[in-house]
Amino acid sequence: MGRFALEGIKVLDFSWVGVGPITTKYLADNGAEVIRIESAARPDVLRLAPPWKDARPGINTSQFFASFNTSKKSIALDLSKPRARELVLRLVPWADVVTESFTPKALRNWNLDYDNLIVHKPELIMLSTCMQGQTGPNALYPGYGNLMAALCGFYHIAGYGPEGAPCPPYGAYTDFIAPRLAACALLAALDYKRRTGRGQYIDMSQYEAALHNLAPAIVDYFATGRVLGPQGNRSERYAPHGAYRCADEDGQERWIALGVADDAEWGGMLAALGDPPADARFASAAARHANRAALDAFVAGLMRNREAGELTVALQGNGVAAYPVQNCVDIHHDANLEQFDFWHWLDHSEMGPTPYEGLQHRMSATPGELRSPAPLLGQHNDEIFSGMLGLSPGEIEQLKQDRVIF
Amino acid sequence: MASELLKGFRMLDLSDEKGALCGKIFADMGADVIKIEPPAGCSTRLIPPFLDAAADSDRSLYFLAYQAGKRSVTLNLEAADGRALLERLAAKSDFIVESFRIGYMDSIGLGYERLTAINPRLIHASITPFGDKGPGKHYKACDIVSWASGGPMFLMGEEGRPPLEMSQPQAGLHAGGEAAVASLIAHYPRQTSGRGQHIVVDMQACMVWTLMNEQAMPILHGDYIRRSGVDYVATGTRRRLIFACKDGYISTLLAGGMGVGTISMKGLIGWMAEKGVAADWMLEKDWATWTPGIFMKSTDTDYEEIADLEDRVTRLFATLTKREIYEQGRLRRILLAPVATAADIGADEQLKAREYFVPIVHENLGRTLTMPGAFAKFSVTPVGPAGRAPQLGEHNREVYGDLLGIEPARLAELRASGAI
Repeated sequence: MGRFALEGIKVLDFSWVGVGPITTKYLADNGAEVIRIESAARPDVLRLAPPWKDARPGINTSQFFASFNTSKKSIALDLSKPRARELVLRLVPWADVVTESFTPKALRNWNLDYDNLIVHKPELIMLSTCMQGQTGPNALYPGYGNLMAALCGFYHIAGYGPEGAPCPPYGAYTDFIAPRLAACALLAALDYKRRTGRGQYIDMSQYEAALHNLAPAIVDYFATGRVLGPQGNRSERYAPHGAYRCADEDGQERWIALGVADDAEWGGMLAALGDPPADARFASAAARHANRAALDAFVAGLMRNREAGELTVALQGNGVAAYPVQNCVDIHHDANLEQFDFWHWLDHSEMGPTPYEGLQHRMSATPGELRSPAPLLGQHNDEIFSGMLGLSPGEIEQLKQDRVIF
Repeated sequence: MASELLKGFRMLDLSDEKGALCGKIFADMGADVIKIEPPAGCSTRLIPPFLDAAADSDRSLYFLAYQAGKRSVTLNLEAADGRALLERLAAKSDFIVESFRIGYMDSIGLGYERLTAINPRLIHASITPFGDKGPGKHYKACDIVSWASGGPMFLMGEEGRPPLEMSQPQAGLHAGGEAAVASLIAHYPRQTSGRGQHIVVDMQACMVWTLMNEQAMPILHGDYIRRSGVDYVATGTRRRLIFACKDGYISTLLAGGMGVGTISMKGLIGWMAEKGVAADWMLEKDWATWTPGIFMKSTDTDYEEIADLEDRVTRLFATLTKREIYEQGRLRRILLAPVATAADIGADEQLKAREYFVPIVHENLGRTLTMPGAFAKFSVTPVGPAGRAPQLGEHNREVYGDLLGIEPARLAELRASGAI
């Protein structure tokens, strides 16, 4: 085995924004060579989105873009120009995998769709991922992951109850579901190609992928007509269950989340809190579920003046699932994430050291790694155009003058 | 119909809700996934809600959804004979996924060292709530605790009320998906080297990843977002993300900017003008540069414009249904989406046109259930649900008999002794 699991795999990555780049990040961090084909005329919108180093906007200083594009190379072209497309086509035979995430007609208009590319590489694996898939009446729907989270039903199940408006999750929630399925698709297709010699085309609708995270509600609806809705932090499974306010810290409110499954855990919780007087309304799991409102008030009273971190240690020590409700400052100081080696400060040539999320798993023999910070726009133009395609300095200069490459 | 994609590979699934999706993804891709259940049944059989609100072990919707297409055997890891069976199964498998507490597999003599000695090819994924090294390595997590520990809960809910989690479990699905990816990353070199490896998945880290661009905000911009109900609050500016309509809610972010943002605002204003609810300033506005509160602090004029826009959009949407607004959004390329319920999803034309939902016969329940279909369309090796969720121990005979070659008499003994 090589140092990295996916050494030798080559990816031409036309994708942008969230799902595509997060998918190819899995490959890049594990040793695959991933070349982002970027448009200088229409840069990846994440390059234009915060946070930026020192809060100052710049095409190469967005951490939003950087987090999703570690270990990759970048070339910058103007794909609306035929000569740029010719250059890209010359890279296709090199690639095992091509990925893209435009709305369906974009690559077709440029003759860079799958049917055109396999002329140059018959065993190519290609993944197209757009919002709603390559076919169907809504194939051209121009959305992003926040809207997709609404369309998929995630907003509907985010709220305090059937009355009142949804309280949506932060961010483009489905962008953190679809990439795992897309990465599985590519990895399995690569293995299949190695076994059979056959590549294939993969059409991933981010809508269809993300709906798997609500499969129980969908099965239920079709079977019984019931529409599962928002229920706040109430649970049919745990009581108590919720977020409870603790003592403020540094003038900020602090909360602890917990869930108690059974009598053993309930006993553990009371013991951790110094065995407050027994209350018959909470004597059994059934009673705790039946008296949920009183239970919540009782637990809230026990938590209100306690320190969330100390409570967590005490409750977990007694077998109760609990943790502080952490904000974005807390997670950077979290001892468990630290011990998992989650945070990495990579030194980027324009941004200096900035914090990147690490991998969410660790492998014993061929661990992945954030091999390099995100590339500058077009950082690898010379390496690719001169080194891989053999263009002369004069040809490259001409292409730059003609604004074909940047 | 099992997919050809991973046909011939076998996964042992000993996980609970933290890993169920991992084996489901493998089953959808054609692998033989054997769910190893304790004699009393996997805990995912007891996760509410239940089909027909009937709390029995074959009707948990979570179980029906995420154990679909797997085979089920019972196996008692607390019994020596049970552990011996697991070793024999491991010898004939390519993948194993489990989510026991750290150290449990070692404590029963079936840790990674032992299993890799039996089968060096084995890829063993362990899913953990808080990793395997930190002070919380023995901590428990239920879904709400993972939402809290990773950060997304802090951002959800209304000011002055408790932070919220989503009302359907999610954390285990993120972790299960991550285990599937990592297992397939390890699979690629294993097929030439013959060497598997051990993977540890950190569920807390999986939840942090869902924070998108927010993790670095405090460090790079010196501030972070707080929960704000239906609004999105950044750089001091409050924007509505949710608007009521006649039969529910619509989500949209009123902002211009490059490309689709400007197209969207022009489409919206054009529609409002036709309906007689647009203000004159809206018709003349340069939307390409109008992104207050997203990329920059807002001016007093911005606040007035946001208030006027939101007020008029509220009036427009109040007279229309989700379906009508979504239809106009599509025609006019306005960036919006209905806050869809399962009923809306079930009726969605796009999903119908792509034949997304698939009927799966559940003869054990006397009915056919409609399930989400392929997570992607493959041109050569179509994937998708491989079958229904199994009954407890339904495949004992074929797995222990056909696969391991255990005689019926011995199987009866194992059953009598409680090993299976």
